[in-house]
Amino acid sequence: MRVSLNWLSDLVKITLPVEELCDRLDMTGTKVEAVHVLGEGLDGVVIGQVLTREQHPDADRLSYCSVDIGAEEPLRIVCGADNFAAGDRVPVACVGTTLPNGLTIKKAKLRGLVSEGMMCSPIELGVGGEASGLLILPPDAPIGVPYAEYAGLSDTVLELEVTPNRPDCLSMAGVAREVAAVTGVSFSVPASRPAESGGAASESVSVTIDDPVLCPRYTARVIRGVTIGPSPAWLAERVTAAGTRPVNNVVDVTNYVMYELGQPLHAFDLARVATDAAGRAAIGVRTAAEGERIRTLDGQDRALAADALLITDPSGPIALAGVMGGESTEVSEATTDILLESACFDPASISRTSRRLGLISESSLRFERGVDPDLASRAADRAAALIAEVAGGTAAPGIVDEYPGRREPRRLELRAGRVNQLLGTALSPADVSALLVPLGLDVTGDEVLTVTVPGFRPDLEREVDLIEEVARLYGLENIASTRPGGRGRVGGRTPGQRTRDRIGATLRAAGLDEHIGYSFGDSQDLERLGWECAPDEVLVELINPMSEEQAVMRWTLLPSLLRAVSHNQRRGVPDVHIYEMGTTFITAEGRKQPKERLMVGGALTGFWARPGWNDPGATLDFFDGKGVLETLMEALGSPRWTARPASRPWLQDGRSADVVVDGDVVGWLGEAAPQVLDAYEASGPVVLFELSVPALVKAVGRASVRYREIPRYPAVTLDLALVVDEDVTVERVLASIRSAGGTLLESARVFDVYRDPAGTPEDTRRLPVGKKSLAFSLVYRASDRTLTDGDVRPVHDKLVRKVCGAVGAEVRG
Amino acid sequence: MTIIDELRSLEREALAAVAAAGTLDALEAVRIGYLGKKGSLTAVLRGLGALSPEERPEVGRVSNEVRVALEGALDSKRTTLQHAARAERIAAEAVDVTLPGRRRPVGRQHVLHQIVDEIVEVFAGLGYRIAEGPEVELDYYNFTALNHPPDHPARALQDTFYVRDLSGDRAAVEGESDVLLRTHTSPVQVHVMESQKPPIYVLAPGKVYRRDVADPSHLPQFTQIEGLVVDEDITFGDLKGTLEHFVHAMFGPERRVRLRPHFFPFTEPSAEVDVSCAICGGQGCRTCGGEGWLEILGCGMVDPNVFRYVGIDPERYTGFAFGMGAERIAGLKYGVPDLRLFVEGDTRFLHQF
Repeated sequence: MRVSLNWLSDLVKITLPVEELCDRLDMTGTKVEAVHVLGEGLDGVVIGQVLTREQHPDADRLSYCSVDIGAEEPLRIVCGADNFAAGDRVPVACVGTTLPNGLTIKKAKLRGLVSEGMMCSPIELGVGGEASGLLILPPDAPIGVPYAEYAGLSDTVLELEVTPNRPDCLSMAGVAREVAAVTGVSFSVPASRPAESGGAASESVSVTIDDPVLCPRYTARVIRGVTIGPSPAWLAERVTAAGTRPVNNVVDVTNYVMYELGQPLHAFDLARVATDAAGRAAIGVRTAAEGERIRTLDGQDRALAADALLITDPSGPIALAGVMGGESTEVSEATTDILLESACFDPASISRTSRRLGLISESSLRFERGVDPDLASRAADRAAALIAEVAGGTAAPGIVDEYPGRREPRRLELRAGRVNQLLGTALSPADVSALLVPLGLDVTGDEVLTVTVPGFRPDLEREVDLIEEVARLYGLENIASTRPGGRGRVGGRTPGQRTRDRIGATLRAAGLDEHIGYSFGDSQDLERLGWECAPDEVLVELINPMSEEQAVMRWTLLPSLLRAVSHNQRRGVPDVHIYEMGTTFITAEGRKQPKERLMVGGALTGFWARPGWNDPGATLDFFDGKGVLETLMEALGSPRWTARPASRPWLQDGRSADVVVDGDVVGWLGEAAPQVLDAYEASGPVVLFELSVPALVKAVGRASVRYREIPRYPAVTLDLALVVDEDVTVERVLASIRSAGGTLLESARVFDVYRDPAGTPEDTRRLPVGKKSLAFSLVYRASDRTLTDGDVRPVHDKLVRKVCGAVGAEVRG
Repeated sequence: MTIIDELRSLEREALAAVAAAGTLDALEAVRIGYLGKKGSLTAVLRGLGALSPEERPEVGRVSNEVRVALEGALDSKRTTLQHAARAERIAAEAVDVTLPGRRRPVGRQHVLHQIVDEIVEVFAGLGYRIAEGPEVELDYYNFTALNHPPDHPARALQDTFYVRDLSGDRAAVEGESDVLLRTHTSPVQVHVMESQKPPIYVLAPGKVYRRDVADPSHLPQFTQIEGLVVDEDITFGDLKGTLEHFVHAMFGPERRVRLRPHFFPFTEPSAEVDVSCAICGGQGCRTCGGEGWLEILGCGMVDPNVFRYVGIDPERYTGFAFGMGAERIAGLKYGVPDLRLFVEGDTRFLHQF
């Protein structure tokens, strides 16, 4: 809401300096978003006339103009607006001017043509809310005169953020009431009644309302013999200050009264409204029938939903009630008689229609927040009087007033004790009453106050609504700060939340940076990854996505990780080690909400660090990823887990594994398959993993940690090199070693894997084709004595025999 | 030459050899040459038995003198040589300490989660728990139970992401759905109040979604932190004191806090919370848009209608709720100029915090 202080001071005495007034409004709930001092920064803006307008040879959207500003030579100006023609008079900012928005005008070349100034829109001048084109001045605006002088700009306009519960503050009268209440002065709402003559309005208009809920009140006035023309300066200035472009005297009056009182009005050309048998313009208010259409004032032909509220005449719809008028009954230069509508419509209905059609008007904005039905006739009187004043003509006697939805004013009980209970204050009933009365509320009673709520405050429906009014007028800054006592509460994280924190902390300690990506996904990712959903799984689809690439919810973290890898690589960052912990989504036919799964995934590529003077560096591969998971599992209390060879379409075969914890597959690990790298424009190797967080949390819950004695006696360490077939896994050999080792074998680990290099000639081979050598280090120890060679040798020899038999190995000599 | 003369001459010769030895090995050779089993001094001492009883005491005394002198010289020379050798090794091992060390890479927590953790820490200290809820919500939890009327503008298709409902239910408004991406973390309030009796002290951080085109100041996905307290005798003063404590813990005790009345459907009275600008201290500057204050929070007393939806008696219990955005706080704290940096995963960005 734009509030001109010149206008406001007609209604209320402004006793505070502007800055203090703004503070006071801020602190009572009406935020001042901006203060515009009109005329400031307009020193170099003069009135010019466009002499010629030509298409810019090299830019479709630009025109090349010569503009007379009263100087010897016209200025050459390149302009991007298109709402003007040669002959129009417009404000021109000359070179050197710094406009209110901070833009300094320079002589510049635009697509090859020199521009010596700028023609301005209202918003660039800080005088209006609309940016759609230049401010076109009346044809008699004097060329060469400074614009500020011409427009008499010496006003300050406040831009107020009006919250949706305060429809009353969408009018000057409401703002005046608010300013009066918060600064402790009085105010007055302008009222006027037109001089009336001729045939009664009811002889020219009839009104029929179908549903009093959708339209509690409809009033109509008739003004005959008007002359449509431009508005007088004072009127044009005020509607401009409020943020609307002046149209003509009648339309400007309807807008003026809307801004002044908060009542949206609509002027029909009476002659174009179809009549009933009695020759009266027969206004109906009803919902649309299926398939009905209307052409609105903006020239759009609109299909209507069945519950859209319409204003009709016998020929069909003539306006979208409360949203926008229709083209067929629009006021034009030929109009002489006006049918003035001042009505009240159901907020929910207006909101629905305006949402469906994507059509938000100053009128719909007010109706969807609630307009006081009592206001309709007063606003009609005021507008009729003003139309007669600025457009000539005479108001017909009387007002057609259908008011089926009349209601008694609302009465609410307000307990002073409850005020203090909720706010933590110590206000007396008299204090409370003194705060509420200036808002126009009628307050009686003592401990339990009875408050009568006027129609312009539809938001005050309950006791708590009144307490809010007390709070803001008392001043939140005056409420003492305390903190809850809170007997019986407990705080902290759950074990699952702590495990999640630990997973993140461990991955960071292992060198991975945390990434947060979009939760959105792209169904094309299925193809890029070669991912197949389980037969009963369905991706979670958005009905109204922002783009095709974000049209579903992600079902895996992979694309987010791969995109981050690619983003870094394309920007010359080759070393990327990231993890993400986030929700993935999958649903099924018949489900309302999808399943949400918390996953943790990682991607590693490049080196841990660039090679250094003492560190050659190494390209990260599968085993760096596996090392990260080993570190993670250790930090989670070493659950029993293994990496089991497995094949996944998005991973390179032979470098891919399932992560199995306590027998359950909880995720996977591997190097990205080449076609996946191509699809995400990443270069490999990229190691990827993704694990289910709840599964890890469960594993931590199962892991039991007990103290084990620290060894007191020395160990005997023996090495063992075995030659096995290529397909024998280290894990298989180790399992066999462990089962054969008995109680003396403390631990076994692999420390070398050897194969003859490819292409080794037969005679120099150390190993047969298809074989590899695995070297293990075995630690034997007893908890009660120092082992001798004689203790260990028989055990070791037996172990070797058993293992060789079990895995088909030979001891390498 | 008498045997005494011979001993003296041997002594001179041996001491000269000790003095000349330049290495520990050479010194050891000298020791062996004189004092070893086959050493020349050893040979002399071994010959004492052949001397006459008159000669023996004198020769014995002198030869002992020689042995002690030689051993003393050997020890002191050994020490000297050892020190020299150590000094040489130390000199050889000196490095340029300005060369970089061998380091293990360490990962960084995402700046948004650092902010969330910091906030959680403050409220955990005040006895709050962490609550969670689904990101794909039902209209009921996101809007209805939070006292949004059926035609509230936030429900519009242009603001809220709707999700295809596969249950076969039809939504009240055409084109919309009962299922949506939560637009705020406030639905967690409803879940908590449905499943738990007061006293309730919870914090709910999480991702939320609104239909904004990603640009420097908007993202379709961002991070909110919601707080909820429901207990007996909770007042607006408690809300104010709690948030003041939070702001001072998070931003520093010198920052001032102000609550401006505002409107939210699910709290009443409601307020927005501003913190005095760190750059100008409240005078007004570019960072705060000349206002001297930065808006960081929305809050209010839980609306009785919300209590009614979850079956809590609003006469017995009162409560407050607040919500804030991690991106906004990170932006203010670190001066991040473009919100899109938060979701791109550029490691040069991630490593700055």
